Amino acid sequence: MRTRKLIAALGFAGASMLAAAAHADNYEIDGQHAWVTFTIKHGIYGIAHGQFDAVKGAIVIDKADVTKSSVKAELDVGSIHTAFDQRDSDLKGPDFFNAAEFPTISFESTKVEKVDDKTGKVTGNLTISGVSKEITLDVKLLNEAQAPWDATLTKAAFSATGKVSTADFPMAKAADGFGLGPEVEIAIDLEAVKK
Amino acid sequence: MSAVLGNPMVTTAALPLLLGIAVALLARFALPAPSPVLTLFWAALLLFFYWDTLGPPVMPPVAASQKLIYLAFAGIVIGLLPERLLRSRASSLAVVAFAAAFLWLGWRRLAGGSLDLQMIAALAVGLLTLIGGTVLTAQQASASPSAEEPFLAPAAVLALSLAGAIVSVLGASIVTGQLLGSLAALIGGWCLVQYVVMLRGGAAASWSKGVEFLLLFAAATVLIQVALLAPKANPVALILSSLPPIVAVSMRGRLQGMLPGTRPMRPLVAGILIAAPAILAIVTAIVWAPHGAALGF
Repeated sequence: MRTRKLIAALGFAGASMLAAAAHADNYEIDGQHAWVTFTIKHGIYGIAHGQFDAVKGAIVIDKADVTKSSVKAELDVGSIHTAFDQRDSDLKGPDFFNAAEFPTISFESTKVEKVDDKTGKVTGNLTISGVSKEITLDVKLLNEAQAPWDATLTKAAFSATGKVSTADFPMAKAADGFGLGPEVEIAIDLEAVKK
Repeated sequence: MSAVLGNPMVTTAALPLLLGIAVALLARFALPAPSPVLTLFWAALLLFFYWDTLGPPVMPPVAASQKLIYLAFAGIVIGLLPERLLRSRASSLAVVAFAAAFLWLGWRRLAGGSLDLQMIAALAVGLLTLIGGTVLTAQQASASPSAEEPFLAPAAVLALSLAGAIVSVLGASIVTGQLLGSLAALIGGWCLVQYVVMLRGGAAASWSKGVEFLLLFAAATVLIQVALLAPKANPVALILSSLPPIVAVSMRGRLQGMLPGTRPMRPLVAGILIAAPAILAIVTAIVWAPHGAALGF
C-alpha cells in the first residue's frame, strides 16, 4: 500500500514537472522591433536621449510559475544612436562605453518576480565595460498573440523600465567630468518571437 | 577652494606644474637627485594624479583604464630597485615591463584578432615605446655630462606626454588626455627649475634611473592605452608621439653635432629636436581631427 502511494506521489510530481516544463515557452527577441532607449541628465541643461539599435537575446516564460522565467539579452555598443554622429562616436570611446575593448553590453536575469498577471520585476546582472551590476527592471507584458497574417508566428510584447548609475561602471567621469548623469533611466520596448 | 581644485585646468596644468617646481626645488636644496626618497616623492605625485584622474584603484581591474594605476605602481616598484641593479638590468627589465604592459592592456583587442588601422598603430606605438624605453633606460650617464644631458630624458617624457595628451583629447579620450597633460606639466615644472639653475651657472640635476623609468613607463603605458582603445585618435599622430625617447637617445649620438656650442642654448635646441616628432604629432592631430577640437556632448 505504501509503495503504491509512493509511486503515485512520484508519478504526480513527475507529471507536474513535465507540465511545468511544458509551460515554459521560448522566445527570441525580435531585433527589428526592439527599442532599448535611455535618458540621462545633460549637464546643467536638459535630458539627453539615446538608443541601442542592435539588440538580440532570448526570453523563457514559464506561465505556470513565472519565477522560473528568464531573460538574456545583448546590445551592440557600436549601435548606439543619439541623433548626433559625433556624440555617438564619442560615446563609443574609452571614457564611456569603451567599444574597442568591450563591444557588447549584456543582461542576464537572476530572479523574476510576479507582481500581477501582467507585470513583474526582473532582477539580473547588467554588464557594461566588463563590470557587472545587479539591476531590477519593472516589466509589463503588453500582449501575446498570433500574427493575423501568419498562423505560425506568435509574438509577445514587453515594456520594461529601470535605472542605473554611470558611477557603477568604468565611466565614473561621466558625471563629475562631463556633467552627464550619473542616473540613467532605461526604457525598453520589445517584441519577441515564440519559438 | 574645492571649486578651484575641481577645475580640470588647475589639476591638469597648474597644480602639476607647481608640484614639478616643488620637487625640483627639493632636489636642489634638500635631497640629492639620485635619492630614493626623491623617487618616492615622484611616485607619490604620480599616483596622486592617477587617482585624481582615473579614480581609486579597482580590484580586480577589468577595463584597461583600471589597469593603468597598477602599471604605474609596477613602474614605481621597478623604479625603486637599487640603482646598481637598474643600471645593469635596465634593458631586460624595460623589455619585459613594456611588453607585459602592452599585452595586459590590449589582450581583449588582440584576442579580437582584427588587424585594422587602429590595431596596426597600437602595435607600432607599443613597439616604439618599448624600443625607446629600453634604449633610454639602458643609456648610462656620462662621466662628465654635457649641458643638455640632464634634460634629455625629461624632455623625452615631457614631449611624449604632451603630444599624447593632445592626440588623446582630440581622439575623444579625455581622461587619458588629462592624465598625460598632468604628467607633462609635472615634468615641465622640473625642467623649468633645472634650466633656471643652469642659466645661473649651476649644474642641472639629472633624474635617477628609477625616476626616469617610472615616469617614462607611466606616460608610455597611457599612450599605449590611447592607441589601443581610442578609435578616433589619429594613428599617425600616435606613432609620432611615441618617438621622442628614441630621439633623446640619439642626442648623445649622431644628433649631438646639431647642437650649438653656447651652453644655455644646448638644452633648448636638444629639447626642440626631441620634441620635433611630438610637434608633428600635435599638428597632425589638429589638422586631421575627425571633428575638430570639440566633443559631441
